[in-house]
Amino acid sequence: MQQPKSFFEKLKALMETSGVEKKFSKGNMLIREGEVEKNLYHVTSGLIRVFLLSEFEEQTIRFGYQGSIINSLSSFITGKPSEFYMDAIRKTTVRAVTREQLLGLVNKSDENRQQYIQTIELAVTQQVEREVDILTVSPQARLKRVLERSPNLFQEVPLKYIASYLRMTPETLSRIRNS
Amino acid sequence: MRTTNDQLINELLNIVEASTATVNKFKTLSANELNYKKDSASWSVLECIEHLNLYGDFYLPEIEKRIALKKTAPASGLFKPGLIGNYFANLMKAGPGKMKKMRSPGDKDPAGSQLTAATLDRFLKQQVLLTSLLNKARETDLVRTKASISLTRFMKLRLGDTFRFFVYHIERHVAQAGNVIAGIR
Repeated sequence: MQQPKSFFEKLKALMETSGVEKKFSKGNMLIREGEVEKNLYHVTSGLIRVFLLSEFEEQTIRFGYQGSIINSLSSFITGKPSEFYMDAIRKTTVRAVTREQLLGLVNKSDENRQQYIQTIELAVTQQVEREVDILTVSPQARLKRVLERSPNLFQEVPLKYIASYLRMTPETLSRIRNS
Repeated sequence: MRTTNDQLINELLNIVEASTATVNKFKTLSANELNYKKDSASWSVLECIEHLNLYGDFYLPEIEKRIALKKTAPASGLFKPGLIGNYFANLMKAGPGKMKKMRSPGDKDPAGSQLTAATLDRFLKQQVLLTSLLNKARETDLVRTKASISLTRFMKLRLGDTFRFFVYHIERHVAQAGNVIAGIR
């Protein structure tokens, strides 16, 4: 019997057939604070960053590597204005689908609905992991946690954004990497 | 110079409002225009604005701290600048016509940092905070409250002078950014 495709694979197939391709140069913004997120992106090449902007800093909270699905999730779900910015860390190509298209896929079959629920449950557990990251006091421990999830972090992402994601200064990051 | 707290705060608020409006217009510019440099020594629009952000990173928390520390002593009515504070403020005041070229202290030199359109948004957030601090300061003694400066920890200026220096500095560099755009067209 054929293995059912994962939801991720079905989503990527939807992106391929019905998604819109968009290209971004380094530094281009996909969404600004205050705008409503209408898209779900599949990063086909490049790297996306999600960050919170205060008066004093840009706090990186998420990366969208090549092959990943990313957007300003809360805004996408609630329809409320995004608290976050998303920009391209380098030249990036994405495919985008709308919320209607996503829900069309979800409601197409019971299997799809089940798989979507599992995907959401997985996303929730990942959020909790991230919450523990932030609460972890030791910088070394924070780095170790993230490297376990993303071993290629330093090959993919420039140092200053990694430092921001890990909630430390670039100097501290250099120091703990070299010790 | 004879002025009341309210007169001073209102003058500074007007400058902040005008600077905010100008930078809001910059949001419609392309990445190329925002990053355009006439030559390697001149600053782009984003570099001008990031320079202001770096100053804000020091001065806004400092000002907020000093206002919070001071009991709301009745404002002494009149604001008189201090000798050194007045010197710094006038140094920043953008005169009509060409502005004097001045070098920036090393850690406030933005050239080389990676800048994006979020730089403009960060500036605008700082102006919102600055506006609320200016309004809070109406009831503060702007002479007896002192604030540190970024150059050295051995000197403090009257809070009124700190505000003047800081806001005139914003005016100066926003005008500089405007000149960069005018130069492209």
